[in-house]
Amino acid sequence: MAKMDKKWVALCSAAIAAVYAAGYVTTETEAAPAQTPQQYAQTDVQSGGGWASQADPFGQNGQASKSAGQPGKTSQSKKLYKDGTYTGMGSNRRGSIQVAVTIKNDKITDVEISHFAMHYSESDVVGLPGEVLQKQSAHVNNVSGATYSTQAFEDAVQDALTQAKNA
Amino acid sequence: MTAGQWIKSPKGYVTVALAACLLIASIGAFDAKGIINGVVAVAVSVAADIVCALIGKRKRIMPDGAVITGLINALVLSVTTSLFIVAATCIVSILSKHLLVAKKKPVFNPAAFGLLLSVPLFHSGQSWWGAFGDLPAWTIALLLLGGYAVVNRVNKYPQLFAFIGTFLFLLFMMGCFHVGDAADALRPPFINAALFFAFFMLTDPPTSPAKTGGQIAFGILAAVVSAAVYACFGGLMYLFIGLLAGNLYHLLKARLSTGKEYRRGA
Repeated sequence: MAKMDKKWVALCSAAIAAVYAAGYVTTETEAAPAQTPQQYAQTDVQSGGGWASQADPFGQNGQASKSAGQPGKTSQSKKLYKDGTYTGMGSNRRGSIQVAVTIKNDKITDVEISHFAMHYSESDVVGLPGEVLQKQSAHVNNVSGATYSTQAFEDAVQDALTQAKNA
Repeated sequence: MTAGQWIKSPKGYVTVALAACLLIASIGAFDAKGIINGVVAVAVSVAADIVCALIGKRKRIMPDGAVITGLINALVLSVTTSLFIVAATCIVSILSKHLLVAKKKPVFNPAAFGLLLSVPLFHSGQSWWGAFGDLPAWTIALLLLGGYAVVNRVNKYPQLFAFIGTFLFLLFMMGCFHVGDAADALRPPFINAALFFAFFMLTDPPTSPAKTGGQIAFGILAAVVSAAVYACFGGLMYLFIGLLAGNLYHLLKARLSTGKEYRRGA
């Protein structure tokens, strides 16, 4: 078979580039970065003054820690997290995950994957909400073969916790 | 065949291009895990190919095709994939090359077959990292450079343009009518995956037609099936399914033409 003429190669390449550009522009709005997740069911917002630890109870060490009041400074400790259910979003180049995290008395009582839009199977990460409850931490073990989904899930839980944090 | 002659052969071109992808992607990511996966994948593929050739009592044992299969598998599977899964995927690929044959040629693209089956069998994670999907967008230019060199050498421009043109047009239509997730497919890392696939997997000479008409039909069919699977299910397997559909078309066309020749001869 004779080789394709270079002019035809250039012409076909240009035509394909034009089709690609048309598709890219058409889908630009859909590809906009994920919007900041909204908190949809916040209940029983804690109030109260006094001293509060800035430490993150669901952070790196994976253990929830209660804030401790300092004698003489305040008589009532303040909760680090507001009770309620918060949604968080985690995304990367392979898709996004939205979770709903329920917090009560500074404990994660429920985690649910409310929207799964990764390009991988949801079954890969189905055990992660349970791991968050067990560890009381956003940091879970990496699922082999599902690194991107694990990362997005962790980011989503962390995002929900950030929203739940008391100011 | 001398080393100089081999490097100028189609397989030589593909091997050099894939090895370059492996190095560039590893350097770009500051991660040596991909290179380790690549070495393991090539070693296992070559070993499996030699064993299969010995069992089949083949006169000529030249595992250069297995090197290409191993490199493609390593570049598609995520760098965090366990070495066991990398090796198992390569064995499935090489077994398909030796077991699913017609007229001593593989029916399916070995890498695509192995990678497709590795998802349900081994729950493998595929990131197409070797297509520079995690690197800055300008690195696509490097992919185009290597890809065009390979396609020019194997003389598969009609197939490449038919596939890419149809696939991108269908994604454009999907974007217009808000069907599926066309936005993702048109952006890194998915557009990188489509280009890598079109340059290095779709154009595999033994499993695709040589004549212009056949190449165009093959490319269009692979694109339509890929886009349809993506629109319906998303995921990452759509390209492999499209290619395997094209491979089946190639097999059926070859069988039909053989039947016609046989009837003419009779």
